[in-house]
Amino acid sequence: MIAYILRRIVLAIPVMIGILFLTFLLSRLIPGDPCRAMLGEKATQAVCDAFVERTGLNQPIPVQFAYYFGRAVTGDLGESLRFGRPVTDMLMERLPVTVELALLSLLVATFVGMTLGVVAAYWQNSPIDAITMVFANLGVSVPIFVLGLLAAYLFAVAFKDTPFALPPSGRLQPGLIVKTIPEAWGMEDLGGLPRTLLDFLSQMYVVNGILTLNWKVASDAARHLILPVFVLATVPMSIIARMTRSSLLEVMTLDYMRTARAKGLNERHVVFRHAMRNSLLPVVTVVGLSLGGLLSGAVLTETIFGLTGVGRTLFDAITSRDYIVIQGFTLAIAFIYVFVNLLVDLSYAVLDPRIRLS
Amino acid sequence: MTTSAVTTLPTPVEPIFNTKPRGLWSTAFHRLFHRRSAIIGMIILGCLLFIAVFAPFLATHDPVQSQIGIVDVQKRAAPCIRLFGCPADQPEFFFGTDGNVRDLYSRVLYGARLSLMVGILSVGFAIVIGAFIGAVSAYAGGYIDNLLMGLMDILLAFPSLILAIAIVTVLGPGLINTLLAIGIVSIPVYARIMRSSVLSIKQQDYVLAGQSIGSSSRRILLQNILPNALTPLVVQGTLGIAVAILDAAALSFLGLGAQPPTPEWGSMIGQERNQVFTAPHLIIFPGIALILTVLGFNLLGDGLRDALDVRQRS
Repeated sequence: MIAYILRRIVLAIPVMIGILFLTFLLSRLIPGDPCRAMLGEKATQAVCDAFVERTGLNQPIPVQFAYYFGRAVTGDLGESLRFGRPVTDMLMERLPVTVELALLSLLVATFVGMTLGVVAAYWQNSPIDAITMVFANLGVSVPIFVLGLLAAYLFAVAFKDTPFALPPSGRLQPGLIVKTIPEAWGMEDLGGLPRTLLDFLSQMYVVNGILTLNWKVASDAARHLILPVFVLATVPMSIIARMTRSSLLEVMTLDYMRTARAKGLNERHVVFRHAMRNSLLPVVTVVGLSLGGLLSGAVLTETIFGLTGVGRTLFDAITSRDYIVIQGFTLAIAFIYVFVNLLVDLSYAVLDPRIRLS
Repeated sequence: MTTSAVTTLPTPVEPIFNTKPRGLWSTAFHRLFHRRSAIIGMIILGCLLFIAVFAPFLATHDPVQSQIGIVDVQKRAAPCIRLFGCPADQPEFFFGTDGNVRDLYSRVLYGARLSLMVGILSVGFAIVIGAFIGAVSAYAGGYIDNLLMGLMDILLAFPSLILAIAIVTVLGPGLINTLLAIGIVSIPVYARIMRSSVLSIKQQDYVLAGQSIGSSSRRILLQNILPNALTPLVVQGTLGIAVAILDAAALSFLGLGAQPPTPEWGSMIGQERNQVFTAPHLIIFPGIALILTVLGFNLLGDGLRDALDVRQRS
């Protein structure tokens, strides 16, 4: 098992170096003078010279890549051209918002999707099955931004003044003050890694509200997250529902299912204890693969619902041509994606012994 | 499954020699026309193709021409259709007008051309390059295989839309660059499919027979392997068009794809996204068009996968 884990990690290293190289190319392939492209047409020669000197743009390309590599590995992603802030700081501030959104979406998608899939398979070819599958087909075909805008309209305008009304943007209602977790716990002089971790968690307002026992913040943050979470969850939910259904139906035709029935087990036991377990593997794959879609979808969802996460920041960086932020955030997203895929691969090995033995 | 074979032997209805054997594609088409979802998909796509081709005849206005000063109409006017009680003193606009007082109905019609074009061209590009890379990789093996597949793994390490955004940032916004970016992002999928098909087909007896009678590698690749590896490419390609159209619309929505006043659905929605609370029709009509297009390709792709499934055939 340990050998398998080590092999997987070693295999991921060249991919990570490749990602570093590709994101490095990103800022070097911009057509025209890189200084004018990054600082704008009005930059003077003196400003440009200083910029080129400071960022090492006058060095040979291999040297530049070595510098970039060295800095990225130590967590230095450069400074935002627009805000003059370290990209790593911005990332640590915005990432929790996206992580919270993506994890809640994945949770909703997995729970609802699997339930729908089991229901559809259990009552195969019934109207329930047909309706579920029609919605699953629609779910993978609806662009997130269309769904998001229509949901915002529906819940903010059409359902206004009803109990179903939901806020269409932002993270909290104005006037609510959020303390960071170290502040609320009276541990302001805490430092090092625990501090970083607590600051990270503080940015997830639902988690923050629960940990600091501030129910007002927790419930209001959750209310603001309902629309974005469900919008972002739609695509993976539909895929998981379809996958669960087909995987379960396939397992149900196998011989050992007949054996289970023949020895007199009741149908519910057969489905939930015998079939479910063996139909889970493809579903785990889909759950893992959904993360890429969630990260892509976060750009659109956060833009629509005004959440200041990684996606929204990336969008703002694109509109203001802040190449260093685009580069840093793209790199971070790719690394997270590779890391999660690694976890998914390792979880197969736990779920299915055949994989780690081969 | 096996019980029926033991207990009820199939009764021969007609002599075997009278039934003509069907080829793979003939069987596939036969099955395709017996699947409800595939038929619905084909009907949707047929209508879209019709709209795309005959857009100039179906449109009531110029899709990029502002109607301001030509017709007495407000910007972002709600739909007004005579058949559904539009007063005679008001100008008729089936889907209303947009923020620049352009006719939304005509813009949505013309949008079909762009989305179909972007979807088909970017996937076509990805299939040609991907299939080539996959075939070379599988046939050559060794370090060439490792190098090419390593490259594909790096491309796959990015979530597709994020990589497409990065590529368009470098190339600059625009429809052609969007098309290229989505094409590049989709290459690894087809390369992998082609590689695995070629690897399995390479071991088949008829390929070995070809090699033993001295056929050239090129001949074997083009004549024996390619036709047999085509099935999964066709299925994935159809589903891939749906994804490509979604990604292209998302890029345009973010302002990186088609630029205004081009009548592209994603760009139309992106332009008016802040007006959703006051003029939802500007989101609904292009939105429905997008959903139907993507749904059409998804349904057809699913139908094709079932129809071409070799395991089910036997």
